[in-house]
Amino acid sequence: MSRTLLLKACTAMLRHDLTLAWRRRADLALPILYALIVTTLFPFALGPDRLVLQQIAGGVVLVIVVLAMLLELNTLFREDSDDGSLEQLMLSPQPLAVLLAIKVLVYWLTSAAPLIVLSPLLAGLMHLAPRLLPVLMLSLLLATLLISLLGAILMALTITSTQRSGMLLALTLLPLCVPIVIASSGTLVAAEQGLAWVAPLAWLGAALVLALVLAPLSCAAALHIGLDG
Amino acid sequence: MSVWIPLWLRKLAAPPHFYCIAGKLRRWSGRLAVLLGIIALYGALLLAPTDYRQGDAYRIIFVHVPSAWMSLFIYILMGGTALLGLIWRIKLAELATIASAPIGAAFTLITLITGSLWGKRMWGTWWTWDARLSSELILLFLYLGVIALYHSFCNARQGARAASFLTLIGLINVPIVHFSVQWWHTLHQGSTINLFGPSYISASMLWPLLTMTLATKAYYLASLCGRMRKQLLWQERGKHWARRIIAMGE
Repeated sequence: MSRTLLLKACTAMLRHDLTLAWRRRADLALPILYALIVTTLFPFALGPDRLVLQQIAGGVVLVIVVLAMLLELNTLFREDSDDGSLEQLMLSPQPLAVLLAIKVLVYWLTSAAPLIVLSPLLAGLMHLAPRLLPVLMLSLLLATLLISLLGAILMALTITSTQRSGMLLALTLLPLCVPIVIASSGTLVAAEQGLAWVAPLAWLGAALVLALVLAPLSCAAALHIGLDG
Repeated sequence: MSVWIPLWLRKLAAPPHFYCIAGKLRRWSGRLAVLLGIIALYGALLLAPTDYRQGDAYRIIFVHVPSAWMSLFIYILMGGTALLGLIWRIKLAELATIASAPIGAAFTLITLITGSLWGKRMWGTWWTWDARLSSELILLFLYLGVIALYHSFCNARQGARAASFLTLIGLINVPIVHFSVQWWHTLHQGSTINLFGPSYISASMLWPLLTMTLATKAYYLASLCGRMRKQLLWQERGKHWARRIIAMGE
């Protein structure tokens, strides 16, 4: 009985959040435009030399996606906290961790998934070798999911802080993202040199499995700290 | 609170008691730190022999290595106090977490700066993206993140709890960063001093190093007590005992 109720609550929330996101589809385009524009800055800054760009292409796309997600993270929970629906979620009889996991999923679908779809274009602008594209997209898939989960914890923690700019979030989140960036760029470098690239990808996957279980729980705990004091 | 905590410990956790005891502890551990520091420096700069390969430049090890140890030690300790503060809501544990962060950040910065000076002399470069250097840098960012998060809340206790939570997440991350960075790139020498197994350092160099380590620990204790006292007095400024102390002008 309670399980069907939980399922109902989850689907209702998923539909509600996705509808909200769809009604404001102009906002959905922002991270995409941001990533595109930042990518075009690189050739202007470094010169249009194909070899130079090719060498840094994977890392650049990765970092740009991370930064775009960081900027978007501010929208996660913020409106819900401002209009009080976050408190309602906390009061609801359904487990908070599961509901928050749905929120993170919506955040990933609206901010990270478009970037992954866009990544072949970004990589093309930077002259990344086409054979590396599947590897790039795979590592981005795992990395963005991990970053969404980690970012949700920090966003929940800083929800009532007076510092509303993304700077605090960047300062606290980015050091935690270092292993993720290392593993995903390691995957790309290994694939580029023709080595076995599954190992670093498997590490990312293992971390993701761990985070999928633990992150929603700690996100709920962080939200209690962030809102109750 | 649970039953198994002895009475004297609970008494100690009462703010007026703690304030008094921390004052004494601060004085004595401060003196101990100065004394040990002077002995260690004497041994390090005058008694220890010159290294046959690195010359006198190696002597920076007597500052570099104890600070590096402290930078990690303090973070692990912070993880412990953060856990105590979050689970049992012990106010003093929250204070200790917050008070430790700037000290740890300072030790990390000292490690980076002395390492950079040493690196310039030995490797010919101020900075290189080596595993240990990078993970030390990330550790500094973790400390700064904790400090920044604490200061971004109006309510000091809420800030302390949020910062404690971040400390715990960071604590899980420290070994992951360490190993991932090691896998990424390494140039730094392996450790010469091992707790378990033989150390690759002469005894005449080892004792000043260990003395300096004790001195940094004593300094940490003194600084921690001082910071906790000040913060405690500020947070309890409405209470009777705090007003009396402030009125006494101590």
